[in-house]
Amino acid sequence: MRLPTAGDTLARHLMVGAPTITIHVPGLLRDSCAGWTELSIPARTVRAALEDLEQHHSALYRNVCDETGAVRRHLNVFVNADNVRDLDGVDTTLTAGDVVTILPAVSGG
Amino acid sequence: MADRVLLTIGTKKGVFVADAAKARRAFTLRGPFGPGVPVYSTLIDARGTPRLYASCCNPFFGMKVLRSTDMGKSFTETKSAPAFPKEDGRALVNIWSLEAGGGKKDLLCGVEPASLFRSPDGGDSWEMVPGISNHEHARQWQPGGGGLCMHTIIRDGNRVHLGISTGGHYVSEDGGSTFTASNKGVGAGFAPDPYPEFGQCVHKMARHDDAPGRLYMQNHGGWSEWTGPGGPRPGIGVLRSDDYGRSWRSIAKGLPSDFGFPIVVHPHDADTVYVMPLEPSTRTCPGAAPAVWRSENGGDSWSRLARGLPKKQTYFTVQRDAMDVDRLKTPALYFGTTTGQLWIGREGGEQWDCLFDSLPPIHNVKVAVV
Repeated sequence: MRLPTAGDTLARHLMVGAPTITIHVPGLLRDSCAGWTELSIPARTVRAALEDLEQHHSALYRNVCDETGAVRRHLNVFVNADNVRDLDGVDTTLTAGDVVTILPAVSGG
Repeated sequence: MADRVLLTIGTKKGVFVADAAKARRAFTLRGPFGPGVPVYSTLIDARGTPRLYASCCNPFFGMKVLRSTDMGKSFTETKSAPAFPKEDGRALVNIWSLEAGGGKKDLLCGVEPASLFRSPDGGDSWEMVPGISNHEHARQWQPGGGGLCMHTIIRDGNRVHLGISTGGHYVSEDGGSTFTASNKGVGAGFAPDPYPEFGQCVHKMARHDDAPGRLYMQNHGGWSEWTGPGGPRPGIGVLRSDDYGRSWRSIAKGLPSDFGFPIVVHPHDADTVYVMPLEPSTRTCPGAAPAVWRSENGGDSWSRLARGLPKKQTYFTVQRDAMDVDRLKTPALYFGTTTGQLWIGREGGEQWDCLFDSLPPIHNVKVAVV
């Protein structure tokens, strides 16, 4: 299920002129964003994408970032196939069509 | 009319609920509830229609609070969980304690890093309690082996006692607005100064309504053979206060070890107190033979309760919130182990039976008659 670019998205485009990117939501987090598998949002950087989540999908945001705004320790954020830790972290630049994927780190025990 | 014995069991893989008729012959187990992540605190809030709460310490997606309004048949997330204000700079690591507050739906929650939160609506919204969370000592507390946790919240009218590892014992006399470190006689074996103003590694505290001013404490003991500066520090692990926690004295004499985690008071006798001595280095039972120790005179002497428990080759730990006692006329004790057994001590701990022997590692056991 893909989130339609609703009125708020149009307004956000007009306001910021940022490229539209897609956030892929992992299954474990879909309950916190009304079941959407993807969110289409305007953002120039990963940080801006997270700020957009904080503003428009606060429950999802709280699962991804802690109170200080840091991405939770056991989550990985990818831009297309690259972990942002190997790029510029949350300051990684986004271009139109990029897919940002949030995934729990592999763990055992 | 209260006619069921209800247990909440917080484990490494979620929360379980068990219940039985008052005879406690057979318990039915439900669960695990939650997303399979550790549950360090549970609460059976029996004020009015019972509500069950469980912390849900999700290492991936952060801390949640789960709530059940159907006696533990199902749990759902509350609308929010405790969280520090963004400008505070701290981030929640774990939820260590959930207790009923003063109002009908008030809850109190102790967290890591050590801070206190209050909810006025059964866990749907939370606010930080600044009197302790922003206490002048707060940024000087250090984490113990389990983290920097606020694990004990005891309400006594307008008084609130808090146990922090490692921060020590703090008390409020004004309903939780302001707090004072109150650790006279509480030793810190791991510090050059064995009796600091604060910074002790308190493991658990307990009190009884019938003994105003009396508190029991399981502190971080195990320093009787310390050879560093200041010499041995025996008996600092099990303590008692008779002045609302202003001063403390050792009641460890007669125990095989003054190290342990839980401490529990008999529901109908303030002089009867239970501990679970452990070897300080391994956190397992002395001689690999587990036993609960009971004092019936406020800590002046102790007796060993082990009938039905394994007699050898047993190496579990019982964590700070993994022992509780029910309030029936002849109460039973319950403890859960890090190896996943849940034990019941019938007749006040005289006879032990294993209720469940293959649960995930157990962090927390609470019991109520509802």
